[in-house]
Amino acid sequence: MTDQIAIHTQKLTKHYGDVHALVDLDLDVRAGEIFGFLGPNGAGKTTTIRTMLDEIRPTSGTASILGMDSHEMSVEIRDHIGYVPGDLALYPNLTGRDTLTYFANLRGGVDWGYVDELTERLEADLSKKVGDLSSGNRQKVGLIQAFMNRPKVLVMDEPSSGLDPLMQRAFQKLMREVAAAGTTVFLSSHTLSEVQRVADRVGIIRHGKLIALEAVASLRSKAIRKVNIYFDGPVDPSVLRPLPGVRDVTVENQHARLSFDGQMETLLKVITERFHVLDISTEAADLEEIFLTYYRDEEVTA
Amino acid sequence: MLATVFTKTTRDRWKAMAIAIISLALLLLMAMAVYRDIDLSVYTELPEVFLSLMGIPDGADVASLAIGVLYGFYGALTLAALAVSMGSASVAGEERDGTIGLLLGNPKSRTNVLVSKAASMMLLVGLGALALWGAAPLVAGILDVRMGGMQMGAYALHLFVNAIFYGFLAMAIGAWTGKRGLASGVTAGVMALGFVAVGIFPIIEGWENVAKAFPWNYFDNGQPVINGIQWGDLSVLLVASVVLAGIALVGVNRRDLRGQNVGVTLLDRLRSNPMTQKVVDRLAGATRVSRIWIKTASEHQGLLIITAYLMFFVMGVLMGPLYGLMDQTLLSFADQIPKELYAFVGAGGGDMSTAAGFYEVETFGLMAPIAVMVVTVVIGARALAGEEQNRTMGLLLANPIKRSRVLLEKAWAMVLYAVAVGLFTFAGVWLGSLIGGLGIEVGNIAATSFLATLVGLVFGALALALSAATGRVRVAVFGSVGVALVFHLVNSFASLNDTLAGWARVSPFSYYLNTHPLENGMDWGNGAILAGLTVVLVGLSVVLFQRRDLRQTG
Repeated sequence: MTDQIAIHTQKLTKHYGDVHALVDLDLDVRAGEIFGFLGPNGAGKTTTIRTMLDEIRPTSGTASILGMDSHEMSVEIRDHIGYVPGDLALYPNLTGRDTLTYFANLRGGVDWGYVDELTERLEADLSKKVGDLSSGNRQKVGLIQAFMNRPKVLVMDEPSSGLDPLMQRAFQKLMREVAAAGTTVFLSSHTLSEVQRVADRVGIIRHGKLIALEAVASLRSKAIRKVNIYFDGPVDPSVLRPLPGVRDVTVENQHARLSFDGQMETLLKVITERFHVLDISTEAADLEEIFLTYYRDEEVTA
Repeated sequence: MLATVFTKTTRDRWKAMAIAIISLALLLLMAMAVYRDIDLSVYTELPEVFLSLMGIPDGADVASLAIGVLYGFYGALTLAALAVSMGSASVAGEERDGTIGLLLGNPKSRTNVLVSKAASMMLLVGLGALALWGAAPLVAGILDVRMGGMQMGAYALHLFVNAIFYGFLAMAIGAWTGKRGLASGVTAGVMALGFVAVGIFPIIEGWENVAKAFPWNYFDNGQPVINGIQWGDLSVLLVASVVLAGIALVGVNRRDLRGQNVGVTLLDRLRSNPMTQKVVDRLAGATRVSRIWIKTASEHQGLLIITAYLMFFVMGVLMGPLYGLMDQTLLSFADQIPKELYAFVGAGGGDMSTAAGFYEVETFGLMAPIAVMVVTVVIGARALAGEEQNRTMGLLLANPIKRSRVLLEKAWAMVLYAVAVGLFTFAGVWLGSLIGGLGIEVGNIAATSFLATLVGLVFGALALALSAATGRVRVAVFGSVGVALVFHLVNSFASLNDTLAGWARVSPFSYYLNTHPLENGMDWGNGAILAGLTVVLVGLSVVLFQRRDLRQTG
């Protein structure tokens, strides 16, 4: 990953009549990073992607990829991108290989040795007509066409859709490899475990507005986590409750359970100063929890 | 019957029917206004057999002439086309859209679904026929035209039964094959052949009864508008409709439902044959996807094969010997008929007493432009809107190509197919003329075929422009076909009335047959106007397509 910006949006806004699908979206995705783009259905993820790719035109604001304006230089941009649309549809009457040949002809410069490698890794069947394939196998054809030109930027909207867990792992490995080689990956997904596993940073969008933009590690550190503490003797819960970031405290003899939202270092310092701690365990916060936390907070604020 | 399915189907379709009926009523207004101002003696002095052939009732007056041509041709075709569209979509359409599984995931039988859709089709077609019935006295009243003793109720009933027959035919084919395109195409072919056959066989001595083999014969052969309900004719269509409905029910219950609609083309079949696999694999595989226009062309092979066959063999080669078999005494009357009269059948004015005039009326009058339009409108409408409807446009445009290139390559496929239909028409008519010893100038045949290609291309380009502007296949198809119908009618009727004659020039059809190219040769000015219109519409398509957001669904 470098500090260069691969995808940039400035006050990107898209209205459909009275519906504000995207509102003043400011976003920077660095070159070589895997950027997870999260949000519930209808939040504006697909609208963002379609605007970036010039499928639809912004009401106001701009988007650029690799420093090129997404509308003015859309053809030049598309020379450098791979794209997997959400709800992927292909030509049912073409075989997988015909489909890839079609796009390779339009694009030019596709290395068929790499296509074969991708086909093998994703265990895709390119001999059958796409219309006869299961949704997962059809998705594999879509993934190969996105990767096959070794793009500088990969834009993927729900790319794991229909893939079995084993194939999801293979796909995630592939994503990490291309990112390590310098490709920027813009990953819109509902599969939070996948984003958590591969993404460097995530952006969370709601009602067309970006409500969070942070590194996954940083988000984790802020998330509420369940903490179990074992003391060498009985503890009064009223001592724990006023501690900053602590909530939902329950105590059973020497065992205290609590939810903690803050820096672990601070909590440990306060507790160990006052008590003799025998053991401590925390349940790692996952992205789902973080996601839900953000949305709950937003709902409360709203 | 399922009320929900019935209601949804009716709700999805009523607009198309309403627009069609309103358009037909307006056209009737125009036709009646034209007939009101002309001397009708040209009709009444014609031989009875000729009047009968042209569908002109005895004792024709303004109202019966206008209603005869508007309802007997345009109305009957429009109602039948809407019924075919609903019939073919009833099961095959749901399969193509991938919604049949969800629909039948409910605890309802296939029979119930089909019956509900059939009921919706019958209701809408019935309402359409009733509205046409009601529109006639209304229009006559506005223009102060006397309706006389016309049996409009009987005529409306004939229109209804005729339309649902074709609807059930399409439904049966769709129910057995799951292919909507095949169901619509075959039914349209049966309709077109019947229309032509009913016009030709009765004037071939000894072959008069062959017309009875074609369903169109039972629509208004007995002149229900004058003579009232023809129960014999109606029974034939009604019994056939019931049989077809039964066949549809058996079909839909017997076969496996299709998932995503994967058609098998001729090339696909050859590709799977070990004898031809090697060569065809290259052709059907790598070559087919080498360019956007080649892929677009390959998707419509079936359409081209059927259309080209029809124009080459049926409307071209066969017509030559058939002309020789016709009753020449009867045809000799034709040269006494004022040319304007041919506007009555929308023929543009061919003189049937000559072979060239005969070909001009039968082959080039309606069938040739229709054949070219079938190809160009389908390709034009589906070119952009089809990709958007199938959600493949986003992926296609993720490649480093301009929107204008996608559009122009698809327009190129449309042009090539139009030219192919034109060439087959030319070859068929030339051969027919040779076999029949008719001696029509080969250059004139080429000129007329070329103009037919161009006029078909104008409406294909219009479909492309509508497709580019809206991203909706239905709007592009119905919009361009509707405009074509109106222009055809404007051209036919405007020439009957001096005050309206100038209006004919706004219709692209006036640049096609009005100078009788089969007799007089090519009119390059007309060709240039038609070609220019096509270029302008394609250019407009580029501008419209570049400006708008892509649709996610059709």
